[in-house]
This record gives sequence, structure tokens and C-alpha cells, in this order.
Amino acid sequence: MTRYAELQATTNFSFLRGASHPHELVIAAAALGVEAVGIVDRNSLAGVVRAWRAIRDLKESGFTTRALTGCRLDFADGTPSLLCYPSDREAYGRLTRLLSVGQRRGLKGECELHWEDFLQHRQGQLVLVAPPDRLDADFETRLREIVEVLKGDVWLAASRRYAARDLHRLSKLAALAERSGAPMVATNDVLYHAPERRALQDVVTCIREGCTITQGGLKLAANAERHMKPPQEMARLFAKFPGAVERSAEIAERIRFDLGQLSYEYPSEPVPPGKTAIQHLRDLTWEGAQWRFQEGMGKKEELVIERELALIERLKFANYFLTVHDIVAWARTKKILCQGRGSAANSLVCFCLGVTAVDPTKPDHDLLFSRFISEKRGEPPDIDVDFEHERREEVMQYVYERYGRDRAAIVATVIHYRPRMAIRQVGKALGLTEDVTAALAGTVWGSWGDMSPAEYISQVGLDPEAPEIRRATALAQELLKFPRHLSQHVGGYVLTQRRLDETVPIGNAAMKDRTFIEWDKDDIDAIGLMKVDVLALGMLTALRKSFEMIPPKPDGSRITDITHIDAEAPEVYDMLCRADSVGVFQVESRAQMSMLPRLRPRKFYDLVIEVAIVRPGPIQGNMVHPYLKRREDPTAIEYPRPAPPHDQMELERILKKTMGVPLFQEQAMRIAIDGAGFKDDQVDGLRRAMATFRHHGNVGEYGELFIKGMLSKGYDAKFTEDCFGQIKGFGSYGFPESHAISFALLVYASAWVKWKWPDAFCASLLNSQPMGFYQPAQLVRDAREHGVEIRAPDAMASDWDCTLEPVEGARLRAVRLGLRQIKGLKEKEILKLMALRQDGVNTIEGFARALPRRTLELLAEADAFASMGLSRRQALWAVKGLAGAANEAAEAPLLARQSLKEVQVELPLMSPPMNVAEDYRTTRLSLKAHPCSFFRDELIATGAVPAATLKSLRDRRWTAVGGLVLVRHFGTKLGTAHSFVTVPAPAARVWSRLLFDPMILTWPSATSTLWASARRCSRRYPPPSSRMRWRAVLANVASISGVMDFRLPLPSEAAARSASTRA
Amino acid sequence: MRQLYAVDAAARREGLYVGQKATDAAALCPSLVTADAEPEADAMALVQLADWCVRFSPAVALAPPDSLFLDVTGVTHLWGGEVELAADFRARLGRNGLSVRVAIADTPGAAWALAHQARDAETIAPPGGQGALMARLRPTALRLSPEACAQIERLGLKTVGQLVDLPRAPLARRFGAETLERIDQALGRSKEALTFRRPPNPWFARLAFFEPISALEDLQRVSLDVAGKLCARLEREGMGARRFELAFHGVDGKVHPLTIGLALAARDPARTAKLFAPKLETVDPGFGIEVVTMMAAAVEPTAGRQIRLDALLDGGLEDGLTPLIDRLSNRLGEDRVWRTVPVESHIPERSAAPARPLSHIADALAWDRETPRPLRLFRKPEPLEGVMALTPDDPPRQFQWRRRTHSIRHAEGPERIGDEWWRVDIKDVRTDTVRDYYRVEDQDGARFWVYREGLYAAGETPKWFLHGLFG
Repeated sequence: MTRYAELQATTNFSFLRGASHPHELVIAAAALGVEAVGIVDRNSLAGVVRAWRAIRDLKESGFTTRALTGCRLDFADGTPSLLCYPSDREAYGRLTRLLSVGQRRGLKGECELHWEDFLQHRQGQLVLVAPPDRLDADFETRLREIVEVLKGDVWLAASRRYAARDLHRLSKLAALAERSGAPMVATNDVLYHAPERRALQDVVTCIREGCTITQGGLKLAANAERHMKPPQEMARLFAKFPGAVERSAEIAERIRFDLGQLSYEYPSEPVPPGKTAIQHLRDLTWEGAQWRFQEGMGKKEELVIERELALIERLKFANYFLTVHDIVAWARTKKILCQGRGSAANSLVCFCLGVTAVDPTKPDHDLLFSRFISEKRGEPPDIDVDFEHERREEVMQYVYERYGRDRAAIVATVIHYRPRMAIRQVGKALGLTEDVTAALAGTVWGSWGDMSPAEYISQVGLDPEAPEIRRATALAQELLKFPRHLSQHVGGYVLTQRRLDETVPIGNAAMKDRTFIEWDKDDIDAIGLMKVDVLALGMLTALRKSFEMIPPKPDGSRITDITHIDAEAPEVYDMLCRADSVGVFQVESRAQMSMLPRLRPRKFYDLVIEVAIVRPGPIQGNMVHPYLKRREDPTAIEYPRPAPPHDQMELERILKKTMGVPLFQEQAMRIAIDGAGFKDDQVDGLRRAMATFRHHGNVGEYGELFIKGMLSKGYDAKFTEDCFGQIKGFGSYGFPESHAISFALLVYASAWVKWKWPDAFCASLLNSQPMGFYQPAQLVRDAREHGVEIRAPDAMASDWDCTLEPVEGARLRAVRLGLRQIKGLKEKEILKLMALRQDGVNTIEGFARALPRRTLELLAEADAFASMGLSRRQALWAVKGLAGAANEAAEAPLLARQSLKEVQVELPLMSPPMNVAEDYRTTRLSLKAHPCSFFRDELIATGAVPAATLKSLRDRRWTAVGGLVLVRHFGTKLGTAHSFVTVPAPAARVWSRLLFDPMILTWPSATSTLWASARRCSRRYPPPSSRMRWRAVLANVASISGVMDFRLPLPSEAAARSASTRA
Repeated sequence: MRQLYAVDAAARREGLYVGQKATDAAALCPSLVTADAEPEADAMALVQLADWCVRFSPAVALAPPDSLFLDVTGVTHLWGGEVELAADFRARLGRNGLSVRVAIADTPGAAWALAHQARDAETIAPPGGQGALMARLRPTALRLSPEACAQIERLGLKTVGQLVDLPRAPLARRFGAETLERIDQALGRSKEALTFRRPPNPWFARLAFFEPISALEDLQRVSLDVAGKLCARLEREGMGARRFELAFHGVDGKVHPLTIGLALAARDPARTAKLFAPKLETVDPGFGIEVVTMMAAAVEPTAGRQIRLDALLDGGLEDGLTPLIDRLSNRLGEDRVWRTVPVESHIPERSAAPARPLSHIADALAWDRETPRPLRLFRKPEPLEGVMALTPDDPPRQFQWRRRTHSIRHAEGPERIGDEWWRVDIKDVRTDTVRDYYRVEDQDGARFWVYREGLYAAGETPKWFLHGLFG
């Protein structure tokens, strides 16, 4: 039996070259009896961990195939490409450093290597030289140079591609090998795991080369031979070259390095000299405990802390906690609001350290540390911390500064081909016209997972059965999960004690001053590296800004932290029960709004459930309605029970706090363990499958296991199915309970501010844009409804930010909109304007001396000189007429002299609708009137009813509505619930749909099928007048089940369009 | 981002407009067919149109991207009036598939404005009447910058009339003297100078004789003379032609046209005349020839090489081969003389194509020595009998072709060529539909290109074919 190792396998992480995933190659190799697979992507190690992981899983099934970690080095200076395999850990470190050097030097995504770089890192590398297509004298010279340096560790790779003169070439290579002293070794230069991938391989070649398949010509592969081949086939192909095949296995044996040898050490910075890490953590924790529990803490809490610390010590995680604490503590000193999310909220130590804001020991919470860290699981902890979105960059720069760029870097995110991009690029490569690919791509708009179903394709006028279309969709489907490029993760940092670039290559990110590693979150989990997520959250910014605006309490104290807010104010819950939640964290979306009046939250834990329930998990698992029913009627509470003799209470214990309905991720997992009898390794497998479900969708095998386990215990089949549906849903967007609690804290805090200080709430949200669900226009409208006076942006009164101005005799102050609302203005210029105002400047001429003309024009067009008594047109006329204008050069000298006493010009008055339209154009909102108020009568004439009347309509009555459609939102498949109806609006693209009564925000929604049939007409811009069947689900929520019909242009839109077409 | 650059009437009826995002347009109108905008080609077409317009007026000026000015002063009577001129103009272009808007006015500015914005596609402003007609148009009719137009409209000045009525000084102050200038030009208060285009002369030469000629030697002499006249012009402008048309105009009104084609663009009068020489015998001069004309077609720039008098004696490839090819082509017919050039395809049948005999081939496209192809490739591969070969993919040891047995001494291969999967339905794409080609040499030293169809499969007798012969 011949021994063979494939030492030249290229994965699809050599973007647009390889046509198979790393795991596909590895599995194919194992199945064919190949001893080892060497993954050699081009100047990259991005795919090696995935291959290694696949091998690790295969080991459990008894396969002995090895994954060899290597890299194909392509040089910029004409050196032949080298397949480089580090022989041990130290050599691996040199390889990653070599790649880091190349990547830091190259432009984004490029790696620029020179022969000298390799020379510096050559020690311990085993090298296969990949010969070029033409074997000329120059190659021989270079080969001899390489052999000179690497004597004994260098081989010449030779492959049979079934080209016309294969044997001729192999003989030449054999002779060359003989002469130069680099023995010949057989590889198959593998690009895909099975010959069936040839078509996809040709397609990615076309994408790479920017040509179509018919133009591809000789760039395409002549045959399908570059797949993984079994040892005996390789032996046959190389029969004339004895030893070439076996040599590959010998080389593989010399490669002792395995990714499992990478060990992780935490940075030591946070530990003061003379102390051990655990000592320091212990001190910090008890110190923090005194701050958190000012009234003293109970025996129980002390015990929990001791238990947690003991486990942390045993697992040696103290440094990790200290590192996170270090970052959080620094942010606190800079007064940056921050708060941990995710499962870290299960830890009392994290609470005491100030990393999280949740006390896990509170009776209501009852969170368990073991959900965060478990000795059994042996996984590293994962702490994610949110910071104010506007100030996160400061935190990130602090991390770089403190740990250095060679020890801290951001984790990569692998950007996969998504349906639109896949169909576009495949279509282009297959020579479909832009019109057709655009139409095909259009059919998958808004959707993430499923590729264009046939009905959509025919809806856009294409024949789904046409061979070209089928070919394109089939190949796009294959390309779908391929990695496309690496990008930086939103904020996950890897920090190490030793140089990070000796563990993984570090490259430049697109953003200046950012560096990121080649591996993603799953990779570093597998390797056992630890990461800290430094995330950005807009609501934290808004909360800090609102705290600064809220007047001090009578005792002079100010709110500076979420903990200072009065707990459990009933008025806050009253407000939320009314679904009055525009701007409130998390619960402001349409789906949340429709849930609030049904759930009727009355205490904090209700908010936790509110946050968790409107998620795809519970919705896909059909858990929402049963839960709501039980809230309304406690007698409906029942717990699923197994058939005797099983423990009747096993699920009641798990589901007690959610009335028998599993809502949280942990509950689903616990059901798998207690209910379906999952073993530890199965639970781990399920957990892993859930985490990657979105990418790979391989949760199915556990589904069977789960359902079988539950049914064997005699559980109800429907409940079992639903439970598993929910587990699948969690996979994509699950919320663990601890996370829901962390978020619920922000829900309550923001709702409290909205209720108590709507003025500060509105101003701070506006000052933190872009964030949240709503655009300024909605936030302003909502504040006005809450009795807040809003004042227009004005050059004489506004700052850059929105400010609060006192109102005589009122508790609430008025919001003066900031000049930041005006499109196109720059903060720098406005600060200058504010300084001028301070110096007493109060005329346009005065401002003109220091500000660019364009700034003044923008202010004029936004009607910001109203306080000077100038209308929009007058102000623009005045600004245009300023002396020293750009046109002055062209002006006759005679005219210039006359300028002092200029003839008065009567400009036509602007009509009110035009005025509103101009407001929208310049500031995306108008305080003057609602756009629809101008055609209210017209709408009523067409039979539409005002939104205020909607509530009194009979249920399920056909009716017509009309309004300004501001948003297009396809719900994330909220079960049978609703997708949103909407259309991009002209001036504002906002998430919501506003019916035509100016005062009321209404949310019609349509079922997805209705929406599908209507979406074509909805692309027409004018606002719709929709005939719909009114179904008063709630106070302000309706669902449409009828035909939608769109007409009537909006003034600003019509004007804007005609201006752009005729100009 | 792709957006609509121009829309036709049907698209406009569907609600599509210029500047709309292509994706939105496609969603709105799924049957939409778009073609990529080619502004440069449009500009060239405009120039061509301008040259064509010379038949209406010698003074034509370009107003890119989409307009032309014609000075029709003093020419309208040829059509019977302005109305008739405009109608004829639109009708002629209409027959060529072009829809145009026409306006005739006292000033270019007014004509432009009315052509672009008037309600009708044909507007004729009475003398001095353009002011009234323009008053209702939007300020964009004045050919101002888009930014200025937008701001002028934002000030509430929605028509040219409003703008004209404003006091001049404040207006100039704000929107520049050029705004006033445009108003004045349109209303005829100031003059606008247009740059008229001069159409290029056609490549044409003519000789007329006092005495009609008819002798063959005379015909030869005058063809050389007229060629000399035309070629001198070609040489002056650095051009050459690949086709010449010689025409003898008899006193009886009959025309005898002769044509020659050349492999490479040339302007050598002697060679040109020589190529015409054999054809002159076919000319029947009748009562005599009074005029000879020569026209050059397919005119293109040629290398600035001096054309030497002894060109025909020079032995270079081009100078030696070219006349031969020209003579063969002119005798046998242009389509009978060609060369093959490589085409980028793995499929042997598709890897060569006929081309003009001296067409230039980029080096990158030259035949690849590593993939040898037979000198003669059979249009239809011929089946082989009695093939002996080791499985799965060794070369044949022996085969029968045209009833003769060939035993193979030397062989190379296989070269495995898969089919072009994109030509079959994706469902039917298979990995075993390949051809394994072998270059083989028999006992007599004859070389063949043979192939086995499909991968070897146990239990099936493989099919072998002979696809070509090496020299």
C-alpha cells in the first residue's frame, strides 16, 4: 500500500482560487486514505484552523489523517512560490511573523513578500518549491539558490495535470531535481475536493479575472483533474518516478508542528508587581463588593463570590478577568459609560468588578455562574462589553497603547458570499446581462438565507426553468457559503502575553490604525485564545448625554450612572404598556411595540421577558402566544410532563419563571439535558452547532436526537417540535437570560428618562445620531406629543448639538434643534460660528467674514436665519449677494460700486407645502406642518380614513389609508406575524410608516405574501393610499390584508424629481 | 451604482426617469432592457450627424451632449420656408430612426431653449418673438450651470420671464455676469459666436480630359495619375486605404467602376495602379472616357514609414508577401485567401479561426508549444478500429485507420480535455465526458492525433477516434 500525503491543497481561503472549503478537502482526504493534507493558501493561514478543526472532529470517528499547517508563499520579487511547512512551534512563529511583515507592508488585503524576508525567517521551515509553467534557466538558478540556503529541507513539487506534455515536463523536473539536490515530490496541486467542483472553479476564475465564461478561454481549466486523489491513483500517475509519492508521506512525518501546540498566556500588565493574579483579582472583587453592596452583603453572596473565585483560580482565568477589568476601569476614569452583555452577567465577580450591571444573586434573576464558566465544558470565558458608540474608538486606542500592536489585534470576521452578491457575480461570469443579474439579485433582496425561489424569478419576468437561469442559481447556491474576504470583527480583541504575531499573522485593516488577525471568533475559540469584545452601543452615548442635561436633584446630586435612576417607577411601566416607546432601547421596534400592550410589563423582570420574547427563537418555536395566554390567564399555566416513571417535575423546575414556556437559551439547553437526556459531549455539539447554525445549518442531526429523546420519555410531540424549532431560532439570534437582563436595564433606564425628562431624552437621542430605530423626524414628533416644545435650528440660537432652552413657568425645557440637523454642515464651521456669536456678531455679513459661503448658503436654505427676520428665500438672496462672492471677479466694476444701495428685489413667497418640502430636503424634518396635511382632503376624497378614526373602525372592515411611507422593512420572519409594508420615502428613509394624520403614528403591516405581491408597486416612490382590511390588533397597530395601491406624489418628491430630470 | 442615463418614450410611460437607480427601475418594470451608456460613442455619433446636416446648411455647430446648431439664415427658401425646412429635417431623421426636437429662432440661445423645453417637438419663433415664447420656460432653458439653476429656482424664480424681469445688477452679483450674458444672448441683446464645424473632404480624386481617351495604355496612364493625386493626399495626412475604387466615366454617361482590396492599408500609387492593370481590359470605353475618379475606402492611419520608390524590390516579409497576397486575393476573391489564428479555447475544434492574411497577432495569443496541435485537423474525427491500449489511460499500441493497421512506436499523452460544461444543462454536467488525446507515431514515422472518448469504465469498450495529422 502506497503512502501518500497531499502537500499542496488550496482552499477557498485563497479567495477566488480554491473551490472547496477546508473541511471538504480534509474529509475527502480522510475518505480516500490520504495520510495527511497540507493546507497551503496563498500568503495566508486563514483556512488552517478550519481544516484542523475538521480533522479533530474526524479523529473522533477513528480517522488518522493529519492536517498540516502550511502556507504558499508568493513573492513579489520573482522568487518561485514556496510551499512552506513549519516543522515545529518556533518555526511556526517565524512563519506567522513573516506573513505579518508582508501583510503590514502590503496594501489592504495584500501581502508583499521578498526573498530577504524569507531568509530571515527560514529556520525550521520545510519547503516545497512550486515550479512555474515554464521551466527556464532562470528557474533553475533560483532553485539552486533556494537549495543552497535550505539544504536538506527543500523539495521540488511535481503534479500531473493531464496536459499534453505532462511526462515530458515531469522528466525535466526529475532531471532538475537530480541536478539541484531538491528531491522531487508528487502533489496534485489540489484546488477542490471532488471533480464536480470544476464548474465552480471556472466560475471563480472568471470572477477573479473579470471575464465571462465564454471569454475565459485558456484561463479556465481544461479538465477536472485537480481534485483530491487516493494514494494508489497517485502511485499510478507517478509510476515512472519511483519514490516521488512516498516522499510526500516522509515529509509529512518530519512536520511535527500541530496547531494544538499553540498555548495561550494572558497579558500580565494588570497585575501589580509582587502580587499574584488571583490575589489581585480577589482584592479587587472584595473592594468592588463594598461599592456594589453599600448596605452590606449577605452570607449567600459572600459564598457565591468565594465559589466563583475558587473556580477562576482553578481554571487559571484570573488574568482574563483582570484584563477586562483593566479596560472597564480605564473607561470609568474617562467617564465613558459601559456595561457588559452576554453570559458574563451570570457572574457576581463580574458585577463586583463593575464589568456587568446585573446582580446575579437577586432572587428574581437566579443566574448561575456555571452558565458562564463551566469546568466541564473547559471553554474559555467570553466577556463582551458595550461602550458609548461615539467614544469606543478611545477605548480601542487605549487597548493598543497598553498592550502594544504586536500583542493586541482585532479578530477577523469572515465575510461570506451572500445571495445577492453570489448571484450577481456568478451571473456576470456566466455572461448574463446586467439587467438579468440585477433582476435575479432583486429577487433575493431583504432576505438572507434562501435563494431566489422560482416564483420570485418569474415575478421579475424571467423563466426559472431557462438553462441559463438554472445554471446561474445552482452555481450561486454553491458559492453561497464561500468566504469572500476577511474583515475586522466589530470589536473583538485578542490579547496575548507573548508576541501575538508568533501565533497568527496580523494584517492591516481598512481603517487607519487598526490591525487584525487572520482568524475569526470560531477559530480562536478552537485554538483556545481569549478575546475581549469592545462593542459600541448608541444608547449608552444617548444616556450619558441625557444625564448631563437632566437638572440636579433637590439634594444637588446628579445622575451619572444607570444605578442612580429610581427603580420600578409605575409611571414608566404605564408608559410602556401604552406602547409609548419611540426611542426607548430595544422595545422601540414595531414588533416590540405590538408586544408591549399584550405583555403589559409591570416589573423589571417583565422587561427581561419582553426583550427576550420578540426574538426569532421564541417566535419560530411558537412560544409567544402560549406565554401571552398564560399571562392573561394564570389557570392556563401548565408544565409539560414526561410519562411516568420519569421525574414529573424535571421541566417545571426549568420553566417555572416563564410560566411553563421556554423563552431563554439556557432553558432550551437545560431541556436538552434533563428532558431529552443529552450527554455532555452532545450538549457541547449542540451548542457548537447552534453557534454556527447561521453559517452552516448543520443542527439537524441533533434535532433527531433531541426529538427522539423527548418522545421516548413520553413528552407531547408538538411541544417537542416547538422546543427544537426554538433551539434552531436561538442558533441565529438567541438571547440568554443574563443578556436579556443586561439589556432590560437599559430598557428601563431609557424609558425612565423618556417619561421623566422627555426634553433631555429627545435632545440626547438627536445628539447621538445615527443610532436606534427612528430618524430625527420621528423623535421630534414623539417629543412634541409628549409636550416638549421644539424650536427650529437657527443660526443665532442653535449650537452644533441640540440644546435645552428654559420655558417660562414650565418644568420641561424646550429643545432647540442643533445645526447638526442641517445636511452638509461641518461641525468645525459651526463651532466657528458659535465663537463669532459670542463676540457679538449678529449679521450675515459678519458671519461671512469667517465662514465659507457654502456654509451660509446651507444655513439659508435650511431657513436658519428666521430670527433675523429673513425668510428662506430672502436669506439665500442675501447670502448670494454678499460682497466678495465667488462671482465678484466676473462682476463689472460699476456694479460693485453700486452694491451699497442695492435695488430691493421682491422674491415670490414660498408656498407652505414647498416650505415643508424644503425643510425635509435640508433637515429631514419639518416643524411647520406634516407633509400629508397638504393633501389630507384629497386623501379623504379617495375614501381614506384619518388615522385617528382608525381605532373606532370595526374590526376586519375593509378600508383605505393613505400616508407618507417612510420605511421599507422586511421583518426577520416573525412567524406568521408581519412583514412591514413600506417604501423608501424621499427626504427621509425612516423605519416606520406614517399614516396621514399628522398626529398619529400608525403601523399597518401586511402578511409576507401580500407584501410580495405588492412590493413591485411599492417601489414607486409616491406615498401609498392603501386599501386594507383594518384589524385593530392594538391601540396603534393594524394589519393589512388586502390590495395595496400606491398613488399621489409628495410635493417635495415630485419637485425633486422633476428638477433632476429636466435639469 | 448603475442609473438610467437616457429613457425612451415607452420607458417614460412606465414611470422611469433619468437618474433613477437601475435596480429601482428594474423592479418597477421587470421587462426593462438596458444597454450601457457610451458617452464617447454618442459624441462621435453627434459629430457624424453634424456632418450629415451639411445638406441643410453649411454652417453646423456642435452643442454636446445632445444638440446641434444650424445657421439656416438665407437657406430656408430652398425648402420653401422655415416650416418646410424643419419638417423635412425631422422627417429625414425620423426615417433613420432618430427622434429630434427642432426650434428655429432669431438667436442660438432661444432656439436651444425652445428645442429643449417647448411643448411641441417643432417650434418656430416669429422674428423678435422669442422673448414671449421663452418667458414661460424654466431657468434651465438658459444653459446655466446646474448649481446656479437649482438655487435660482429655490429663490422662487421658476421661469425665464421672472428672471428677465429682475433688476440686472443684483442678479449679476449673485449669479455672475454669465447669467446676464445668457439672457442677453437668448433675447438677441448680445451676439453669440458659434464655432461651425467644417466637414472633412472625402477621399476622392478626379481627372477630366479635354479629349476623350480610349486606348488601354491611356487608361493605364490616367489610373496611375489619378492614383498619384489621391495617394499624395493620403500621404500628406498620414493615412492609407485598404480599398480603392476606380471609375471611368464615358462620354455616353456610362460609368465603369473597378475595385481592388489590399491586405494592409497602403498609399503607393504605382502598386495601386498595377493591381488595377489586369482589370482595365474589361473596361469598354465606348465613345471615349472623359473623366476618371478614384475613391479610397477603409482609410486608416498607417505607420509613418516613408514609402520608398523601390518598395516592390525590397525583400522584407511585408513588402514581399503583401503584393503576393494582394494579387492572389484580387484574382481569387478576397474570401479565398486567409490564415488561421489561435482562439483561446481548450476544445480543438474551436481553437483556430480564419483571419485576414496579414492580420496582426499578439504574442500572448501565439500557438502554445506545450500543447501541440496537428497541422491538419479533421472537420469530423474518424473512428478507429482494433485499438489496443492498456487501461485506464495508456496510449494505444495499435489501431486501424482507413483499413490500414498502424502499430505505434512512440506516444505522448494523454492530454485530457473536458467538455465546455456551460454549454450543457447544469443538471447534465458530468465529469467523465472528456477526451484523452494522444500524439502517436507509427512504424513509418507518420504522426497522428488520436483520442479516446470518455473516461475508461469497466465493462465498456472505449471509442477511439483520429482527429488530425501532424506534418
